[in-house]
Amino acid sequence: MSVALDRQIRPIYDALDTGSHKSAITECNKVLKKHPKNALVKALKALALVRYQKVEEALVLCDEVLESKPTDDSTLNAMMHVLRGLGRHKDMITMYDAAYKKQPTNEELGAQTFFANVRASNWKSAQQVASKMYKQFQEDRYLYWNAMSNVLQANDHNTPVEMRTLLYKLALRLITSAPTPSSVHSDRFHLHLTILRELSEYDEAMTLLETPAGRNICETNLACNEIRRNLMRSRGALEDEGKRAEQRILEKGDRNWLEFLSVIDGTFASLPESKGGAHAGPSEDAKEQFSSKISNTLSLFTNISVQDGRKDRSGLLGLLELEHRARRHGVSTDSVRLLHLMKQYFEIFGDKACCFEDLKPYLNLEGNDLAAWTEVLQACPSSLSTVEAVQRTINSHKLSRYNLSAPELTVDAEISRAALYISQYLEGLPLGRDLPTTELQYVDDLAILAGSVFVNLWKMGGDIKYLYKAVVLLEFALSKSEQAFQIRLMLIRIYRLLGAPSVALEHYRLLRIKQVQNDTLSHFILSRCSTFSLAASGDLTLTSECLESSQIYVSNSQETNDYVIRAFSAEKYSQIPQFILFEDWLENSLQRDITKLEYLRMRITHEAISSDIIDLELIELKFVFDRLHHDNRDFEILPNYQPKNVEDFNTQTLLFGKSEGHGWVWSFLKSYIKVFSQASDLSDVVEEKLLVGDRPQISPKLGSLKERLARREKEEMAELTPDELSLISYTDALTEWLEPFHDHVRPPASVVLADVAKNTELKTGLPLRGVDITPSLNGHVKKEEETPPITDAPEDLIKFFENMKTRFEAAKNAGHLNEALHIATIVQEAFLLFVTETIRFKPASVVKIHKLGNLVAKFKPIRALGIAVLKEMTIALESMSTQEGTSERRREFVDACGFESSEIDHDSIMNIIKRVSDSRKKVEEGMAKGLSRICTTYEQ
Amino acid sequence: MSVIRSFKASDMFKFNNVNLDVWTETYNIGFYLHYLSRWPDLCCVQEAPSGRMMGYVIGKAEGQGSEWHGHVTAITVAPEYRRLSLARKMMSLLELVSDETYRGFFVDLYVRCNNLVAIDMYEGMGYSVYRRVREYYGNLGVGKGGRDEEDAFDMRKPLSRDSARRSVRSNGRDIVVSAHDVS
Repeated sequence: MSVALDRQIRPIYDALDTGSHKSAITECNKVLKKHPKNALVKALKALALVRYQKVEEALVLCDEVLESKPTDDSTLNAMMHVLRGLGRHKDMITMYDAAYKKQPTNEELGAQTFFANVRASNWKSAQQVASKMYKQFQEDRYLYWNAMSNVLQANDHNTPVEMRTLLYKLALRLITSAPTPSSVHSDRFHLHLTILRELSEYDEAMTLLETPAGRNICETNLACNEIRRNLMRSRGALEDEGKRAEQRILEKGDRNWLEFLSVIDGTFASLPESKGGAHAGPSEDAKEQFSSKISNTLSLFTNISVQDGRKDRSGLLGLLELEHRARRHGVSTDSVRLLHLMKQYFEIFGDKACCFEDLKPYLNLEGNDLAAWTEVLQACPSSLSTVEAVQRTINSHKLSRYNLSAPELTVDAEISRAALYISQYLEGLPLGRDLPTTELQYVDDLAILAGSVFVNLWKMGGDIKYLYKAVVLLEFALSKSEQAFQIRLMLIRIYRLLGAPSVALEHYRLLRIKQVQNDTLSHFILSRCSTFSLAASGDLTLTSECLESSQIYVSNSQETNDYVIRAFSAEKYSQIPQFILFEDWLENSLQRDITKLEYLRMRITHEAISSDIIDLELIELKFVFDRLHHDNRDFEILPNYQPKNVEDFNTQTLLFGKSEGHGWVWSFLKSYIKVFSQASDLSDVVEEKLLVGDRPQISPKLGSLKERLARREKEEMAELTPDELSLISYTDALTEWLEPFHDHVRPPASVVLADVAKNTELKTGLPLRGVDITPSLNGHVKKEEETPPITDAPEDLIKFFENMKTRFEAAKNAGHLNEALHIATIVQEAFLLFVTETIRFKPASVVKIHKLGNLVAKFKPIRALGIAVLKEMTIALESMSTQEGTSERRREFVDACGFESSEIDHDSIMNIIKRVSDSRKKVEEGMAKGLSRICTTYEQ
Repeated sequence: MSVIRSFKASDMFKFNNVNLDVWTETYNIGFYLHYLSRWPDLCCVQEAPSGRMMGYVIGKAEGQGSEWHGHVTAITVAPEYRRLSLARKMMSLLELVSDETYRGFFVDLYVRCNNLVAIDMYEGMGYSVYRRVREYYGNLGVGKGGRDEEDAFDMRKPLSRDSARRSVRSNGRDIVVSAHDVS
C-alpha cells in the first residue's frame, strides 16, 4: 500500500474507532472515488455500514470483497468484523480457508482459519486445520489444538454417541505422540487427564499423576487436582484417596472441606448404603470392621477439632458428617452422638452467621432427638447485650423455626413469634449504632425472620394486613441498614404482591444490578411484568427495563467467543469447555426469552400492529423456539427461614403462586408463533431467501414446525395460571378456525419476494442478492382453488370473553387487585391477538376477491364483545383508583398494621402506606387509560 | 473451613450473594473471562458445604524482570461468611501459586488507606506498605474518609525467590506516587 493511500485510510479507522460510523462512510466514499477497486476500503465501508444498521448496502460490498478472495491482513481483519456483525460465520471460514490455501506457509493465516472454525463451533474442520498447521509448523500447541477440537466435537450434542469414544481416542493418540510430555504445562496436563477420564483409562492416568511433575501440578493447580479427585472416585479408589487426604490434613494443615469429605468417603468406601428393611442392614462382621475404621476417623477429626478450637469449623463439622453417614448406613454405635455434636457445634460456633446453614443438613430430627434438640435451643439465653449474643439468639430462632411442626404453626403462635423477633430486633438495634452506613446491622436477620413470619401468616389466612406489616417492618429495618440487599429483595417480592409495582421497581434499581446479574436477577422485576405494564397508555418504563436487561445477551454473543479464542492462544485448555458452556447458558437463557415474551406482550399494546412488527417478531420467535433453554435465574438469593414443612419464601411470594419455566415459555411461544405466522406473508421459502446469517440446527426428530406448534403438553400447561390457560385455549381455537382462510389469501412466495426485491432496489439502488423473480402480477393473486367453506366462529371465543368478564368482577369484588390486573391484561392480549389475526381480512378488495364477506361478518360480534368487556373493565379500574387513595383507606391500613412501638413512628408508617396506595392508584389509572386507548384505536 | 476450588466461568451465575454487597463490583463478563483465559490458576472460589458461594479471589501475574510478581486484583467474601479467615486462605493459595508456578518475586495488592481492618489483616499475613498511590480509587460516596479513602497503599509480600527481600521497604508509607505511575 502506498504511503499516500495509507494516509487516506487512517481517518477511516479513527472514525470507526470512535464510533462515528457516518463519517467513516463518507471517508470511505472519498477514497473509493480514486481507488474504486480497493478491497480494504470496501471492507471498511461494509463494516461502517453494518454498524450504521445499513445491512442491505453492506451485503453488496461484503459479497464483492469476498469474491475477490483477499489475503492481506487488514482486509481479512475488517471482513472478519463485518461477517461477525452479520452473523455469517460460515462465510468467514470460506474466506480464511481460501486465503490460507493461497499462502500455506503463513502461520497467522492458519491460526485465523482455525479460529474462524472455532467461532462457528465447526470442530471437525478446526481439527483438520490444526492438523495441517502441526505438519507445517511443527509446534506442539497445534497438536493440542487438534486434540482439543476432537474433545469439543465429542462433547457437541449434535455428535452421535457412538462417535464420542472414537474422537477421544483420536485426541489421546495425538497427545501421546507429542515430543514433550503433557506435564510440562498444567493445562495440557489437564486436557490429557480429561481425555483419560472419559476413556476410563484410569491406570494410565494414575501413572501420569504419580510422576513428580504430575504431583507438582496437582499441588498448585486446583483444576488439575479436581480432575485427579474425580479420577480417584471413578476408579473406586476411595480408600486410597481418603488416606491421602488424611495425610494432607495432618501434615499440611489443609482445611479444604473436600479433603474432609474424601476422608469420610474413604471410611465408608466398601460399605453399601443401607436402604432400610430387614435384609438391607450390614452383617455383624462388616459392622465390626467398619466400627474400627469409623473410630479411626473419629479420633482424627476429634483431634483436629480440639486443636483448631474456634479457629476452624472443619473438625467438628467433619464429626457431624461422619455420624450422619454412619446413621444412614445403619452403623452408628452411639444414639446420642449426633445430638451431642450438634449441641457442641451450636455452643462453639453459634455466634457465627453461618451456623444455621452448617447445621441444616443434620436438622431432620424426629421424636426424642427432636425434643432434646429443641430443649438445647430453648436453653440458649436470649441475651442481646453483645454482637455474639445477638448472633446466637438469631441462630437459635432459625434453628428452632426450621423444625416447627404443624400444631406449632397456628396463627396465634406465629403472631407471638413475630412479636418476639421484633422486640428483640428493636432491643438489639442500638448495638450497631456506630456502624458506618456501608455495614449491615447485627440484628438484620431478626427483622428478616419477623418479615418471613408475616408472609407466612398472610399465606395461612390470606389476610393482606400481614403483608402491610411485613412491608412496614422491613422498610424500617432497611432504613437502619441501607445495604441489606436481602431485605430489599424481600420487599420487592412483597410490593409486587401488594400491586405496587413502581415501589418494587425503585427498590430493584437501588440494588444496582449490572452485567450478568441482569440475567440471574431480573426475574425479580420482569416476571409476568406485563400484568403491571402501562405501555398501552404510553408509559414505557417496563418495556425499556426489558430492553436494558437484555443488553447482556448482545455482549455475550459479541464477546464471549473471543475469549474462547484467547484461551486457545494462551493454551488454557481447562477453560475452553467452561467458556463454551457459559456462552451457551447465557445465549439460551430461559430468562432471556421470558423477558422477550413479556416485551412482546407489552409491545403490541402500544405500537400499531403492522406487518413489519409481525414479520420481525415472527422471525425472532422462531429462533427462540429452536433454543434449548437453560435456567440461570437465582432464587437462592432470597433468604428462607420458613419451617421445613411449609413452602419456602420464594414459592410463597411468587406472583400468582406460579413460576414461569420452560413450559410457560413454550406455551406462549406456540400461541404467538401460530398467530403471527398466520398473519404474516413470510413463508419458509421467503424466509430462507431473505435471512442473513446462519440458522440454528434443529434435530429432525422433533418433527416439523407445524407439528411442534400443535403439541400442547400437560407439564407445559401446569406452569400457567388459570387465566393464562384460558388465553392459550382461546388462541388455539382462534388459529384453528382461521388457518384455512389465511392460507388461501396469503400471496405466494414469488409475489412476496418480488415485492421485497423492488423495495430493496429502491432503497439501495442495487438488485437483491439471490432473488431473480420478475413480478408476474401486480398486487393480489387470485388463486385457482375455491375459497374454503366459511365456518362459524368457535363458541370458545365468545365464551372466553364472557368468562373473563365474570372472573374480573369476582376479583374486583374480592379486592384482589393483582388478579384483576392479570385478567384485564389477558383480555387485552386476547383482543389484540384477535386484531392481529384479522388484519389480513381488513381491505375490502381482499374480501371481495376471495368472497370472504360471510367470514368477516362473523368477526363483528366477537370484536364487539371484546371491546365491551374492555370498556367495562376500564370503568371498573377507574372506580377502583378513585377509592384507592382516600385517607380513610389509608388509616384503615395503618390501624391494621398495629405497630404501636415508639421506634417505628406513625409518620413513616403513613408514608409507606401512602407509597403503596399511590403506586396501586397509578397502575389502576394507567391500566384504565391504556384499555380505553385500545378500545378507541380498534373500535371501528 | 470451606471448599476451595477453581473459579469457573459459570460461577458468574452464582456469585450474587457475594457481589450484591456494596464493596464488591460486578464487572462485565469480559473482565472475568480475560482473567480466566490468562491466569486461571490465580482465580479461586470458596464454597460452603451447601454449595453456596462464600467468596473468591481473582489474580494475575505481571511485571518485568525483578518486578515479576503475583497481583491480587479482587478478593471478596460475602457478608455472612466474614470473620472465618476465608480471605487468609485464599491469599495463601495465591501466594503459593505465584511462588511455585509463576516464580514471582513477590505478591502485591492495593487497599484503601482508610481500610484499617484490611491493612491489619494483610500485615498479619506478612505484607507491608511499599508505597502510597494518590487518588487510586474513585470516591464511593460513602463516609468522609478524605484522602485516606481515595488513596491506596500498594502492599507487598516477598516470595521465596526474593530471598534478599528487595521487593519491600520499611519506609513505604512515606513514598507517595500518583495513580498514573502505577499500571
